[in-house]
Amino acid sequence: MAEQRAEFMYYAVTLATLVTMGLAVVRAILGPTLYDRVLAMNMFGTKTVLLLAVVAFLFGRPDFLDLVLTYALINFIGVFAVLEFFRIRAARRQDSGEAGR
Amino acid sequence: MTVLFGIFLLTLLLITAVAIVRARNLFVAVMLMGIASLLIAASFLLLDAADVALTEAAVGAGVSTVLFLSALSITSERERASSSRPLISLAVVTAAALIVIYSTFDKPRFGDPEAPVHSHVSPWYIEKTEEYMEIPNMVTAVLGSFRGYDTLGEVFVVLVAGIGVLFLLSGGPGFDSGKSPPPWAKAGLRHYLIPRVAGRLLIPFILLLGLYIQFHGEYGPGGGFQAGAIIAAAVILYALLEGEQNALKVLPRPVLIGLMAGGAILYGAVGVLGILMGGNFLDYSVLAADSVKGQQRGILLIEAGVGMTVTGVLLSIFHSFAARRR
Repeated sequence: MAEQRAEFMYYAVTLATLVTMGLAVVRAILGPTLYDRVLAMNMFGTKTVLLLAVVAFLFGRPDFLDLVLTYALINFIGVFAVLEFFRIRAARRQDSGEAGR
Repeated sequence: MTVLFGIFLLTLLLITAVAIVRARNLFVAVMLMGIASLLIAASFLLLDAADVALTEAAVGAGVSTVLFLSALSITSERERASSSRPLISLAVVTAAALIVIYSTFDKPRFGDPEAPVHSHVSPWYIEKTEEYMEIPNMVTAVLGSFRGYDTLGEVFVVLVAGIGVLFLLSGGPGFDSGKSPPPWAKAGLRHYLIPRVAGRLLIPFILLLGLYIQFHGEYGPGGGFQAGAIIAAAVILYALLEGEQNALKVLPRPVLIGLMAGGAILYGAVGVLGILMGGNFLDYSVLAADSVKGQQRGILLIEAGVGMTVTGVLLSIFHSFAARRR
């Protein structure tokens, strides 16, 4: 009985996560600004970590958690790259602006 | 129920793919590509393919977004209006899609145990992995030993692709050989408190995870390809925090080139060692007195070679993008 209840909970959590992922995709596609999309991608990454963790338990394969660990540790590098991208772009614009003068 | 989850994820993937094609702003396209990669990894995991999902995770989350953004920072952000005729492309794509869809009618049902892929060599691999190597992860056994030739080929493909990209990006008018890097290439994000604290804290753990994936590949999902991408991601994170030039001081270009070639050479050398010790090329059984130990030793060595090559190639590509000024 307890196991059944646990499995039901896994399914419920998976479903809720999937709905959230769908909403994140909607936000990433509709935008309207770039920052909405960066946030949507970041949130989608977090939700993927959750989804994969729940699915690992649902399948009874806790060794799949390695994958979740990987995402949890390196998913934010993309967001750092976005920050660095905006920083470098601003610096480059300043450079080319000075060169043009 | 799991099938429904899979269908939902694939539908999202389709929507994202259409949105990527339609996006005119390339930055938006890069963000959507990140989402597509996450969706693919989740779909792989639902299909029980943890090793492939881990590869997608390591490359998609850590490296590909960074490389796309590096490429974007030396080009324009908006896609140029296409001058080709859309009707011809549409016709070609539709015809190709119809052929692909038609060919799926002959495919066995999803999960069919009688499918050709499950009835040729796969049962033999499943049966013999335990006997020959005594390791639980059959994917590593197939990849490293049973099909060692294919993996050797893959490593050389990665190496050749890396050399090709380096040729394309190094040289030409926009190339800066590093003699006078602009000030912003030295700084990175270290002046911002949260990235500095969070990033610095995590780099050792990412490196540890990379080593764990590298050397635990025989027991869980993972192996050289994934570990190489994760370790490269850790160094890229260091480059983002401390500036690309400082990362180059830690791992200079010659070291990266050495890693690239050295990994492939290590893999080949293990094969030649097999010949010298009386076996066949890439036959690891002869590497130790006990053939099971020999197999395990061989897989460990070639996985190390794979990891070195992947790390070297990914980091070299990252640095050669960063060295371009336009």
